[in-house]
Amino acid sequence: MFFQAAVLAAVAAFGLWLAGNLRANSEATNIPLSYDYLGQPARFPIAGSSFRIEQNVRSAIIVGVGNTARVAVVGIVAATLIGTLIGIARLSTNWLVSKAAKTYVELVRNVPLLVIIIFSYKALFLQLPRPQEATRIEGLLVLSVRDIAVPWSRVAEGKAPAVLGVLVVAGLAAWLVARWRRSVFDRTGQPARAGVASTAAFVVITAAGFVALGGPVDVTSPQFDEGVVSGGIRMSPEYAALLFALVLYTSSHIAEIVRGSIQAIPKGQTEAATALALAPGQRMRLVVLPQAMRIALPALTNQYLNLTKNSSLAVAISYFELTNITKLSIANRSPAVPSYGLLLVLYLALSLTIAGITNLVNRRLAVGDR
Amino acid sequence: MTTRGRRSRWGAAALTLTLALAACSDDDGGEGADPTSEDGTGGETEDSTGITLVQEGSALAAIQERGSVRCGTRDALPGFAVLTPDGDHVGFDADFCRVIAAAILGDAEAVEFVDLATEARFTALQSGEIDVLVRNTTWTAGRDGSEGATFLQPTFYDGQGMMVAADSPYQTVADMDGATVCVAAGTTTEGNVASEFSRLGITPTEVLSFPEPELIQDAFIAGRCDGWSSDVSQLTGLRSEFPDGPEALRILEDVFSKEPLAPAVADGDTELAQAVEWAIFATIQAEEFGIDSTNIAEFAESEDPLIRTFLGTAEEGGTFDPGLGLPPDYAVQVITQVGNYAEIFEEHLAPLGLDRGLNTLWSEGGLLYAPPYR
Repeated sequence: MFFQAAVLAAVAAFGLWLAGNLRANSEATNIPLSYDYLGQPARFPIAGSSFRIEQNVRSAIIVGVGNTARVAVVGIVAATLIGTLIGIARLSTNWLVSKAAKTYVELVRNVPLLVIIIFSYKALFLQLPRPQEATRIEGLLVLSVRDIAVPWSRVAEGKAPAVLGVLVVAGLAAWLVARWRRSVFDRTGQPARAGVASTAAFVVITAAGFVALGGPVDVTSPQFDEGVVSGGIRMSPEYAALLFALVLYTSSHIAEIVRGSIQAIPKGQTEAATALALAPGQRMRLVVLPQAMRIALPALTNQYLNLTKNSSLAVAISYFELTNITKLSIANRSPAVPSYGLLLVLYLALSLTIAGITNLVNRRLAVGDR
Repeated sequence: MTTRGRRSRWGAAALTLTLALAACSDDDGGEGADPTSEDGTGGETEDSTGITLVQEGSALAAIQERGSVRCGTRDALPGFAVLTPDGDHVGFDADFCRVIAAAILGDAEAVEFVDLATEARFTALQSGEIDVLVRNTTWTAGRDGSEGATFLQPTFYDGQGMMVAADSPYQTVADMDGATVCVAAGTTTEGNVASEFSRLGITPTEVLSFPEPELIQDAFIAGRCDGWSSDVSQLTGLRSEFPDGPEALRILEDVFSKEPLAPAVADGDTELAQAVEWAIFATIQAEEFGIDSTNIAEFAESEDPLIRTFLGTAEEGGTFDPGLGLPPDYAVQVITQVGNYAEIFEEHLAPLGLDRGLNTLWSEGGLLYAPPYR
């Protein structure tokens, strides 16, 4: 007890002393430690955003957080889907499928991520056709070394609240239908088909609402004119290369977690499911996977945090996420120590947010409360 | 005593740790420093990280005691500083490191070259990891004011320019509305491009920045960018090494920023600053007098009192010592061991295809002007 207190005091004293030295030395060398620079004009542009150089450093960092989130959210969803499929494929009884999955995992997870990122940028996305010779599928896709554009939908002006209202009502209806189907199942034992029924309810109500509003959502498809792309949604090759590499790399790790979690489910569960005459697909979907995901979730959280933090390697290929913008801002006269301090805090906040969300899911999945 | 004197070695170690962490530098900070070995004497002490930290007295005294100048430079800037396969640092910046060592220590080879990434350069200067920064660094008010650096006589007056493919339609920067421009990361180049475009009333589609010049080159070849912007001297160097040959690229006439590349020392040490500055002046003054490494022997018996003073030739009343902390014959050491400004330029920058431009003597309409040595 005394020993612990002493260690704590020593650590605290060490920290204070470091802070004191930082202060003294920054005064001696005239390097500011305050956060006043956040209000200064940024003086640098950010590729792929409407950011103007007159805007302040704070806005630039907000753009950075947004860009990190953009790659992290899409990356986490895609890596989870692909990783889970590959994890299941590794356990396939089909020799070819399981060996192919194994090859993928071993090939990808043993290569440093930075190498994958630079490889995907140089060997894939920089090899796309030049802008004037872009590959196009009319109305669906424009693909060149500068733009990757696909159709996208935009809510028509002034109709955002109405659209939101329709979606909320549809979501509520879907939830009620699902509850009703489940209660029917509990009472009668008839197949519930809750997923199908609630999706149908959601689609029908949304469609009806949109018809009533007179088409509040415009679909824009990418247009190509002399090398210039307009309409649709555009991904820069840097974003695409980073996303591709992060998903490739993280899904190889997720595949191993999913495989391990499935193997951790006692064989009796599968045998019992077989005894109940469930088809192999149902066995996996209804019995094994729900239990396996419970085991996998804490380990998956780690992968999600890794993916988010690994996005900082985008510095190598000029995608302007949080770290890259911080470095850019330091090169343009923001003080290094406060800038990196802020960077630490922002990554901490992002990580805690992700961990918080997965903890919520974990609590819902946990055994015992239902 | 200077402000540096107030720094304890622990303080410097802590700052080094923090900044090194920040700059992802290689050293592992001052965790291993041992308080009991603090001797409190002047000069320098070596801590376990291998970083020598100044305690008392000036950095100039520390250099003289150590017997070498730690010079922050880069190993991959063609013409300015390149690390050869034999481990030699060759280039314009590297030679000015040697000029400084020759002036202070009388030995041009007494230089420890420290290769610095762009974003680590000021941190290295602030933490005392290097004595002087000669690394293609533009002197700006912001850096002078908030990076803890004191800039000295520029060695090269440069300006930012734009390079495009030889077969591209662009003739001036004003033609480049909607173009994508690639630059090196960690510099103010991106901001300069954006300011110049907005001054011309046009907008670039994107300004991309890469930490590795190789990747800029790849992106440029792939057609990802229309323009490649950097200081004209660097563009000339990069063009000379372009895989498809220099004819495949064209440097536009426009020069849209002032980039005086100047050496820098840490704030608060005027003695070292003076010594470095006069070492550079010696190369300029030598060119003005027409003295170079091949003909310096002829000037030993010169009757011209200005030249006799400059070369520290012994007089009846003793040699002239301005009190800069440099040996009286420092100019002789600089010229014989390295050369005058023209020789350094001709050796490293002329082969890239660079003209002297602004970097000629004031008497020939350039900006090189050394104060009188008397």
